[in-house]
Amino acid sequence: MALTERMPAPARTLDTSGRLCPFPIVETAKAVKAMDAGAVLLVIATDPGIALDMPMWCKATRNEHLGTFQDGAAWKSFVRKRAR
Amino acid sequence: MKKQGKAIGLISGGLDSTLALALVRGQGIEVKAVNFYTGFCITETQRRKGGRPDGTVPQNEALRAAADLEVEIEYVDISGPGYFDMLVNPRWGYGANANPCVDCRVFMMRKAKEIMEAEGADFIFTGEVLGQRPKSQRRDTLRIIERESGLDGRLLRPLSARLLPPTIPEQEGIVDRERLLDISGRGRTRQMALAEELGISEWPQPAGGCCYLTDEAFSRKFFDVLDAREARGEPRKLEREDVVLLSTGRHFRLSPRAKLIVGRTEVENALLEHHVEGRARVEARDVLGPVALVEGVPTWEERQLAARIVARYGKGKDAGRVVVEWREGDLVETYEVEPEHDEARVEAMRI
Repeated sequence: MALTERMPAPARTLDTSGRLCPFPIVETAKAVKAMDAGAVLLVIATDPGIALDMPMWCKATRNEHLGTFQDGAAWKSFVRKRAR
Repeated sequence: MKKQGKAIGLISGGLDSTLALALVRGQGIEVKAVNFYTGFCITETQRRKGGRPDGTVPQNEALRAAADLEVEIEYVDISGPGYFDMLVNPRWGYGANANPCVDCRVFMMRKAKEIMEAEGADFIFTGEVLGQRPKSQRRDTLRIIERESGLDGRLLRPLSARLLPPTIPEQEGIVDRERLLDISGRGRTRQMALAEELGISEWPQPAGGCCYLTDEAFSRKFFDVLDAREARGEPRKLEREDVVLLSTGRHFRLSPRAKLIVGRTEVENALLEHHVEGRARVEARDVLGPVALVEGVPTWEERQLAARIVARYGKGKDAGRVVVEWREGDLVETYEVEPEHDEARVEAMRI
């Protein structure tokens, strides 16, 4: 089973392909803000910096970083919005 | 009992702003960190190009600092017409290169003030250190930045606070002035000792210097764009696309009418491919070589010259003749040229 298949089903998918640092994180922040607590966001990015940035952003904002996986030329990052 | 407060911290992730963040947060004050995106950050550009020359990928230091201290962070994109207009027409002038540091700080503080008001925060703080930078961190310019941004009394510099007049949050008891510092000058000994004391083990080296506008080579290219537009009778202004192109490739001024940009790496070639529209795309046809763009309206002689320079940076550099393809919209031409070997001529055109 692929690692991404072990992730919970996302409530929303955000495709940031072609966007470079720091915009995938900027867009992630906006998307998470609009989601319900506990919901999962899948972020697709082509900027390899996402693998470093997403865990740090999640730690800073106290959202849960479920995992970031390379999938071909893209990265898939799963984030669960923190509970209130 | 100490009054509970909220602050907006402007952080780059460098040692000083990380310490300022730790000091304010250490007083039990709720902090939201803000990092401004200008488009001129050298580290961000290195990341876009796949990392440093040694193969390592620099981390996003502002994110790292916020994560280490578990402080919520927001990125705010300030690159755009208003910011570019400030860069071209700075009221307080440039530093040694294309860096209008005082104007830039005023611009940022005005944005920070908007965030402070929207968030219901009490004050802004930064990692600025009195006397650390020759232009933007003198006592008089620190005061100008505070006054011109409309943040009178609401702008705290925790590392130098005890050398500066008390701010409103200090007077109101939100911030304990006694627990702020009196650091000044360019030395970093005290900051490093404080980092050890606070358990902060990571910060980028060297300090500061992350802005392309302070770079001499970048600065030449920056002013060349403005000067060339002015020479053509166009407004002296900067476009968003310029920001990417200025940090990409070798730049050659062929004439006031035309400029050549030659990719230095595969990543730069790929970046240039995204900016072909409105420009000529030039590349050697039968041998490996860089992607190049020509801006403006070159003469036939300048097209030949551009083709010769492009040929010199490819695998055909030692060949007698190289076929170079010139694409401009639907127009495709080929020029068979001798690679340019006149170093002095090439250097005279290099921006």
